[in-house]
Amino acid sequence: MSDALFQPYARSPLDPLDLAGQAVRPSPENGAWANEVRLLAYLTLRGDSADPAYARAVRTVCGLSLPDAGRYVSGVAGVLLWRSPNECLLLTSRRQAASLRVALVEAFAGLLAEVVDQSGGLTTVYLAGAEQVTVLRHMGGYDFGSLEPGQAIATVFGKTAAVVMRADAHGVHLIVRRSFAAYLWALLARSARPYAFTVGRLPAAGTDPVLCLQEGATVLDRQDRVAV
Amino acid sequence: MFLIYCPYCKATREEEEFHNAGEAFIARPADPEAASDEEWGDYLFMRKNPKGWHWEQWQHAAGCGRVFAVKRHTLSYRIAGSWTLAAGKALFLQEGGV
Ligand SMILES: [Zn+2]
Repeated sequence: MSDALFQPYARSPLDPLDLAGQAVRPSPENGAWANEVRLLAYLTLRGDSADPAYARAVRTVCGLSLPDAGRYVSGVAGVLLWRSPNECLLLTSRRQAASLRVALVEAFAGLLAEVVDQSGGLTTVYLAGAEQVTVLRHMGGYDFGSLEPGQAIATVFGKTAAVVMRADAHGVHLIVRRSFAAYLWALLARSARPYAFTVGRLPAAGTDPVLCLQEGATVLDRQDRVAV
Repeated sequence: MFLIYCPYCKATREEEEFHNAGEAFIARPADPEAASDEEWGDYLFMRKNPKGWHWEQWQHAAGCGRVFAVKRHTLSYRIAGSWTLAAGKALFLQEGGV
């Protein structure tokens, strides 16, 4: 086999659904719209959040303090989500991921802490529109109306679990395992059908801390980001 | 449906997010090699199954993944509270639990 035939490319979990091909500019008539935030990088950080040396190492590399239970913090390095007392998830861009991972491994030397690149195993779905909370209520039992910017919680959606993160008043991000991404998408699309659901084109710029991690995104105003 | 408080997430969530992980604070024989078959069998298989207050382990499977202690009434299904395993064990011993 010739080497010239081997041209690897990154394929996001929902690429087979061709969401990009279906995406339209959402209108106010669309009560709910969604799309996949493709090919972000996901680093799992494990370490005891009560250990000041671990917290210092994370702050030095990412510029972020460890988030409180059920919350996230964001900055230039990305979004750091609380997952459990000894686990955080860092959403970042593929561009930054490798250097962040190396820097974290170095900073964790001598500590009981580790960093694992899970970029291949997770993806994010962005849900927006006036009826977004109604759609979430169809999908799971959590009190989604109470979720405020700065909060990120993991809960059950039908037969899978996902992290729900409220970015701002405009929309929420659902972070799900690759293997359940198609299921979650189908559940979402079916639940949202009564509200004139459409696949929407993601804004290429904005203050949403996750959307601005996309390839080619421009950040309008970093000051507006949720800092907790 | 239970509403269970997770001491790690510091939030009350629906039972759907949790897995029951059985009776809490079952003491493993200190020296398994020296334990009689009966002692070992009790440890593995025999459970209190009370009608009344029961110390249980619950795992916040869909949330933080942690296991913690819940004191629940098996008849009324009332939940007295949730604690981390260490805090729950201290309370359990204080109540004279064995
Ligand atoms: Zn929890």
